[in-house]
Amino acid sequence: MAEIKFVLNNEKVQIDRDPTMRLLDVLRDDFGLIGVKEGCGEGECGACSVLIDSEVASSCIVPLGNVFDKKIVTIEGFKKTDRYKVLHEAYEEEGAVQCGFCIPGMLLASESLLNKNPHPSEDEIRDGLSGNLCRCTGYNMIVRAVQRAAETGEGLW
Amino acid sequence: MVKSYFPKTYRQALEILAKSNPAIIAGGTDLMVKKRRWSGLSPGFSEDMIFISQLRELDYIRRENGKIYIGANVTLEKLLHDKDIPEILKKAVASMASPGVRHTATLAGNIANASPAGDTLPVLYILNARIVIGSLERENVIQIEDFILGPGSIDLRRSEIIKEIIIDDTDFDFMMYEKVGGRKSDAISKVSFAAAVSSVFDMVTDMRIAIGAVAPTVVRIREFELQLIDTPVNEMAQISGLVKDLYKPLIKPISDQRSTADYRKMCVLNFIEEFLNKAGKRIGKEKDIDW
Amino acid sequence: MSGISKSIPKQDTAEKTSGEALYIGDIKVDGMLHAKTLRSTKTRALIKEIKLPDLPEGYHIVDYRDIPGENYVKIIFEDMPVFAEKTVNYYGEPILLVIGSDKQQILKLIDAIEVIYEPLEPRYKYTKSVVHYEYEKGNTDTAFANAVRTINGEYKTGYQEHIYLEPQGVISLYDENKITILGSMQCPYYIKNAVMQVLNADEDGVRVQQATTGGAFGGKEEFPSLIACQAAVASAKLKKPVSLIYDRMEDIETTTKRHPSLIKFTAAIGPDFTVDGIRAHVSLDSGAYIGLSGVVLQRAMIAASGVYTIKNLSVSGDVYETNSVPNGAFRGFGAPQMFFAVEMFMEHIAKELKYSPLEFKLNYLAKTGDATSTGGQFRNPIIMRDMVHKAWEISDYRRKTTEFSQLGVYKGIGMSLFLHGCGFTGSGEQKHIKAVVRLRKNKDDTVTILASSTDMGQGAATTLRKIAAGILELSVEQIIYNKPDTDHVPDSGPTVASRTIMIVGGLIARAAVDLKEKWKPGEEIIVEQRYKQPEFIKWDEDKLRGDAYPAYSWGVVVSEVEVNPVTWTVELKGLWSVYDIGIAIDERIVIGQIEGGLLQGISYGMMEVMECKEGIIQQRNVTDYIIPTAADSINMHTVLMDNSYPLGPYGAKGAGELPLVGGAPAVAMAIENAIGKKVTRIPVTPEYIMELMKNG
Ligand SMILES: Cc1cc2nc3c(=O)[nH]c(=O)nc-3n(C[C@H](O)[C@H](O)[C@H](O)COP(=O)(O)OP(=O)(O)OC[C@H]3O[C@@H](n4cnc5c(N)ncnc54)[C@H](O)[C@@H]3O)c2cc1C
Ligand code: FES
Ligand code: FES
Repeated sequence: MAEIKFVLNNEKVQIDRDPTMRLLDVLRDDFGLIGVKEGCGEGECGACSVLIDSEVASSCIVPLGNVFDKKIVTIEGFKKTDRYKVLHEAYEEEGAVQCGFCIPGMLLASESLLNKNPHPSEDEIRDGLSGNLCRCTGYNMIVRAVQRAAETGEGLW
Repeated sequence: MVKSYFPKTYRQALEILAKSNPAIIAGGTDLMVKKRRWSGLSPGFSEDMIFISQLRELDYIRRENGKIYIGANVTLEKLLHDKDIPEILKKAVASMASPGVRHTATLAGNIANASPAGDTLPVLYILNARIVIGSLERENVIQIEDFILGPGSIDLRRSEIIKEIIIDDTDFDFMMYEKVGGRKSDAISKVSFAAAVSSVFDMVTDMRIAIGAVAPTVVRIREFELQLIDTPVNEMAQISGLVKDLYKPLIKPISDQRSTADYRKMCVLNFIEEFLNKAGKRIGKEKDIDW
Repeated sequence: MSGISKSIPKQDTAEKTSGEALYIGDIKVDGMLHAKTLRSTKTRALIKEIKLPDLPEGYHIVDYRDIPGENYVKIIFEDMPVFAEKTVNYYGEPILLVIGSDKQQILKLIDAIEVIYEPLEPRYKYTKSVVHYEYEKGNTDTAFANAVRTINGEYKTGYQEHIYLEPQGVISLYDENKITILGSMQCPYYIKNAVMQVLNADEDGVRVQQATTGGAFGGKEEFPSLIACQAAVASAKLKKPVSLIYDRMEDIETTTKRHPSLIKFTAAIGPDFTVDGIRAHVSLDSGAYIGLSGVVLQRAMIAASGVYTIKNLSVSGDVYETNSVPNGAFRGFGAPQMFFAVEMFMEHIAKELKYSPLEFKLNYLAKTGDATSTGGQFRNPIIMRDMVHKAWEISDYRRKTTEFSQLGVYKGIGMSLFLHGCGFTGSGEQKHIKAVVRLRKNKDDTVTILASSTDMGQGAATTLRKIAAGILELSVEQIIYNKPDTDHVPDSGPTVASRTIMIVGGLIARAAVDLKEKWKPGEEIIVEQRYKQPEFIKWDEDKLRGDAYPAYSWGVVVSEVEVNPVTWTVELKGLWSVYDIGIAIDERIVIGQIEGGLLQGISYGMMEVMECKEGIIQQRNVTDYIIPTAADSINMHTVLMDNSYPLGPYGAKGAGELPLVGGAPAVAMAIENAIGKKVTRIPVTPEYIMELMKNG
């Protein structure tokens, strides 16, 4: 056990847990943040994506001990932002959401990508989302949603 | 439950390592998958763990005196965006995993993991990487091929840590990196291949070839490379048969759930040929990297 | 584009982008216990003894002895036990559950259980046929007797794993009079009926509620019945809520997959070099239990002549039992296997006879009014010729065929023509499903759809509401669709077989017409509709004769590839496709189905490798079982051609499965044309291409 302090969705939190625990489990079980999904548990699918210091990371392979003093954002925190609104509308407009299981992770990967690169090319989008598997959509509507968000959200990123 | 250590400084980490011999966890992208259990449970670590990712001291990339120094905490993503990192290493890193993994995985972890399919390894071999090993008593520098002993096996004591990686800052005339995976991104290598050549007055002065995922460790044979020195550049294509014959007996891949031995072998031999063909054609025109 | 096709926002997008939607793993119930499955480590063996450790307080074992009813999962053919009794028939077969509150303790107990087996000789080859069908159209014997030559083809397809992104899971809730199953599912009533049989319960004793479902693709058609039965038995015994949720590896290793197949053809070539007759045989590997394999076999067999009219056709098929994980439903249901085989075979006949494959295929293309393979009739207009021309045009097909045919280019283009029968095969709807749908007009003048169709991402919650709203002339917001709960909705059948829009949507449309007539503001009114088979449909289930489907959706896919001659890896360069699905109820939703389905079909054809060695699946996680990423997908050019189906709601037919069917043959053909070697199996991996280049 160890006291781990970090910032979660803009709030300072502190938790006494085994630091080798998966960040995913801590977020879901201790903080009730169920928007973080488990699709594989081996870092391959991206359903468990969160932002760590603004960069997308797969929380199923991040030990809690590695988030000391870091800023973690999950979909629950992200949904309060203007960027979320733009991304949500773009995903909806493009029909990019089917079963939805990949979607919270996909949105955070989109955010991480746009944050680094506000005007990504199609290839850059595909690469930026390549750690987030989606079995429903074939990805193109998602790619177009990110393109649309980059346009309509001009200036936000 | 196992004990976890959070050193605040590198020095402290060395002290803990000397005293308690915990296992090191960096990004955790290998360890957390290997030790995974039922969701909701702590991973199945059986040893005490020392966390090192908080040590900012080990997060640096420096370029000095013809060498590049990479601290143990440098993530794969950081390598991709650093101006001092050779393009060939960037190409290997860009082919690895996905952004979500690259943001947390480290180069040192990829080395210490010592997977036959570790994608940075062939490049590190041809860049003559040296591993700087720290411990309370002393600091050691060891060649990567001496450091990696076999699959998952490295020459590192329980009181030691990888502190940094040093690579050559060499300007080659032609370099090539190829990775074959099952899909375009986020794929474990079926084979990987890195090679580089330099010449003076159209004679080869330095030639390096390293092959991953076809043997327990990366295949790099310096005596073969020495034999190729002084080959006229315009004859490189002609000797490809000879070179392939040299390497053939050492390429002993396995068949597994990702590919077949025959396929892996074919790819490697084709890469050798392609490398020699392209190098022969391109050198003398303009310095080039083959992407 | 007709008005109904104009896209509207989907009902569930907001709850999904915000992470609020509750999937089964997100539901927490007070006092809920966790269950973990102890599985067979043998592919076939007698269970001699099970040595159990002492169980601490609060920890339980649940096995076949706890089943009050029958130890079979009610699927079409009832041979799969809920828990293994005396024998195990595949590696990973469930034997018992260990249940308790602490997962760590459960794992410890699982490790401490010792099962003593007496191994039996396992079977991995196609030797034991457990289902056999055959049918004949015309007179094949005469065709073969008059043939100037015959041409053979043998085609093989591999496994395909669904990789719905959310693994399987159910929670069983206990109440004195009722067991309630919450879960990720396609077919609430399949589960209800299965659980009733296992618990020996009546209608009122079991309730099933769908949780938000994270993808299914057929994988959540019959499999959830197994785990629902297990969890239900556990919670009935323990009088507690029990959750049984799989992780990815367990899911890949032990849930159903697409049947591997071996398909053999012989064509009788007549004196004027025409195909006068075809004999076909289909072998499917069912794994250890038959389940619904017989129905998958039927769909495969019925597709044996593809989109072509072959006068004399003789088709037989067998389902073979092997000691491996049971195979089951997967989008396309036997058709993807057969369409790969028949499309390649027609291509190979053409090449053998030195015809241009496309002209050749067009010569045999079924026309309106032609007899179907099973001697039924294509009653509705077939517009495939126009579709092929459209596909040619948008893909620049002819120019590319010529350009790529040059030596050493390693580029190829391929076109597949395919169809998919909408709804259950034959009189399945009438005889077995008997769908019922209700609409309830509420006092506030909103209307609730009462149907058991599930939305698992394919958009049923939106499209069914659109149908009702359109007819009732209400706004879509005034139509309410909730996730099905068997206590509130009638059995309108499972959400499978491309039937939801055409059949259930059709019933909703009829009910809406009825309700509109009876409409009285401020009053509650309930109307009901039951499925009636169109008069003209005649089907003989044993002989496979007659109209196999009321309607067909059609498609054309063109795929372009470039093959790397150093590594034989294949790069997708272009995908164009044209469909006739009647009228699209919502264009964007349909395109979503097409893009996702087509990519699944393409990767079935070139990427997704799953091997079973000595009964054990080799690719056990998503690192080793590879599906495409965003970087592997490419932009797709899709055209929908309206062809209204008079009996479908707003003219709609089915669209869910169709797009998967054409992917594999199109990409396999493109690769064949790029490398100039005959491709006879999928997936066409670089390893296989290397073999072809060496030996072919
Ligand atoms: C989804 C996914 C995809 C991947 N794809 C690829 C890929 O394409 N190619 C590839 O090569 N790899 C891949 N990997 C593997 C992995 O990301 C790399 O090996 C990574 O670089 C390991 O770094 P880490 O910091 O996460 O290591 P950790 O998991 O923290 O540690 C790995 C090993 O290194 C040791 N170690 C770490 N740091 C030190 C140190 N400073 N001193 C001594 N020992 C140390 C640890 O004790 C442990 O044994 C993938 C992993 C995942 C989860
Ligand atoms: S659950 Fe973490 S990457 Fe799949
Ligand atoms: S929407 Fe289902 S996995 Fe992406």
